[in-house]
Amino acid sequence: MKIAKVLVANRGEIAVRIIRACREAGIGAVAIFSEADRDALHVQMADEAYPIGPPPAVESYLAAEKIVGVAKAAGADAVHPGYGFLAENAAFAEACAEAGLTFIGPPPAAIRAMGDKTAARRIARELGVPLVPGTLEPVTGDEAARAAARKIGYPVMIKAALGGGGKGMRLVRREEDLAGALRLARGEAQSAFGDASIYLERALVEPRHIEVQVLADGQGRVIHLGERECSIQRRHQKLVEESPSPLADAALRERLGEAACRIAQAAAYVNAGTVEFLVDAERNFYFLEMNTRLQVEHPVTELVTGIDLVHEQLRIAGGEPLGYGQPDVRGRGVAIECRINAEDPFAGWLPSPGTIRGLRVPSGPWVRVDSGVYEGYPVPRFYDTLLAKLIVWGADRAAAIDRMARALAEYRVVGVRTTIPLLERIMAHPDFRAGRLSTGFLDRVMPDLGAGQGRHASIALIAAVLAQYERLGRGTLAAPPPSAWRQAARPGWRGRPE
Amino acid sequence: MKFVATAGDRAQTVEISGGRGQYRVTIGEQVWEVDARRTSPGIYSLLVGGVSYVADVTEQEDVAIVEVAGEIYAVKVEEATRHVIRTRGGVAAAPGPRTLVAPLPGRITHVAVTPGDRVRAGDTLLVIEAMKMENEFKAAAAGTISEVRVQAGQPVNAGDVLLVIA
Repeated sequence: MKIAKVLVANRGEIAVRIIRACREAGIGAVAIFSEADRDALHVQMADEAYPIGPPPAVESYLAAEKIVGVAKAAGADAVHPGYGFLAENAAFAEACAEAGLTFIGPPPAAIRAMGDKTAARRIARELGVPLVPGTLEPVTGDEAARAAARKIGYPVMIKAALGGGGKGMRLVRREEDLAGALRLARGEAQSAFGDASIYLERALVEPRHIEVQVLADGQGRVIHLGERECSIQRRHQKLVEESPSPLADAALRERLGEAACRIAQAAAYVNAGTVEFLVDAERNFYFLEMNTRLQVEHPVTELVTGIDLVHEQLRIAGGEPLGYGQPDVRGRGVAIECRINAEDPFAGWLPSPGTIRGLRVPSGPWVRVDSGVYEGYPVPRFYDTLLAKLIVWGADRAAAIDRMARALAEYRVVGVRTTIPLLERIMAHPDFRAGRLSTGFLDRVMPDLGAGQGRHASIALIAAVLAQYERLGRGTLAAPPPSAWRQAARPGWRGRPE
Repeated sequence: MKFVATAGDRAQTVEISGGRGQYRVTIGEQVWEVDARRTSPGIYSLLVGGVSYVADVTEQEDVAIVEVAGEIYAVKVEEATRHVIRTRGGVAAAPGPRTLVAPLPGRITHVAVTPGDRVRAGDTLLVIEAMKMENEFKAAAAGTISEVRVQAGQPVNAGDVLLVIA
């Protein structure tokens, strides 16, 4: 059953990414947008676009019924949820199925099995996949938590049973801090996931976050596409991802891949998914959780394997078998992704909504930009801060880092603060270049990364004074006439019929 | 033409001459030859001694927020004559009530203080949610809350006065 028209139940760069894949596959793309997103790039790039409600996500991008209604009315036969919003919502996947729409993702039962983190841990344990020591059942009551934490040994990590994105996570180093941390974690879990269940795990010291991309078709074939290292994080939000991991050798890759495929198989998984692990310095790995969706960092896998993951998702959802097996998957070179977020890392990571008044996007050999923005675009305050992703490929890791540094230096976003200056400093950091990574990297090196501020104080004075001088009518800093190129570079592929 | 440019607590005299894109800028003892173009509103391409910079200048009240190569500076620029009048008048020295101004648009999710509360430096005043992130704002110095102009649930714009500390 070939898919002919997809409703993209998302926004931003991922909606653009999915629309691109649809267009290449000859599939129609339907966008949805909230009242805050009429100007968004995905609206302009889709074949059709429909409003779905007010800016807050609960009234628009999370309004499952409305979205299913729009999909039916537009004549779509499938729904791609992207990541975030409804991507891991089993009830939404079921609602799509009931409305006769193909959900481009795993079956609801697989979302449920892996979405409940304690259930996922039980599956992993039954398969003999190592787990971070911890509880296999949600912990109720402070007394039980105290006893469990003593048994596990401090430091412990409190996690939300339905967790993700760092919500409901708390690191506890001493027993006297446990009760307070439990209260905060339960509160966050309740507000983020509607369920206050938590469980406990031992907190590993300086672990690495390494995850495996899997693909599973409806005929029972499961393969993996190698690993991604995502250790550069801030508050459990990834900032830089790369493939392959600088730590992984062929033996570790094979063991990780085999474990990931077994977990996917046990969950009766279909479509693209990711199995996340923590890995210690001795290359011992522990199952963390499975993400039952396409991930933000999927492009690094695409660049090293040459496999387009969204095309594969569309094919698998359309009932096609995978056209290749594990031995056909070969990685080549190294890919790195940097997340361009509208945040000021040097001012407490303050989000920075506002209008993008100037934009120069890098290009050149082996540079890819997945973006949801353009010059003149007003970044709304209602959604997450990801503006774009910069992904590069190099023949080896050093070449990829040099290329990323070059591309970041080209990238200019004027009007909102971004993570670009921080990312440039990460690329230049000796520990990053040497592959000395852990999930604590950013906390450890952030003071070094902030250094160097103040190098351009004189240039800033000159610019501020020139602006004033011009305002007083003394200098003429004439803007160049608008070029034909600039006019033509407006977003969208095609001219609209007049 | 002479200006006084103040960044942080440092005021410097900046002299500028020229026009039509070619300028001579003197800051203290140092002289810079500057080739400048405004490529779009608020965006300047500067060649300073042949080195290429792009500076983004945003006017905010009486200061210019300047971004150069990822570094942010708040620069107050005054004509030198006015600067002399103002500082002699002693206006800058007078400490008054301090206000907490929203640095970004968002929604107030929590207000931790009420009028009459004594706060110490570092105490949480309120939380603004924007772009799915909760941002805590803390007192910069000790004082007494004299006015709270917002409540939880309320949307705010950048520049709105949220509360006043006497």
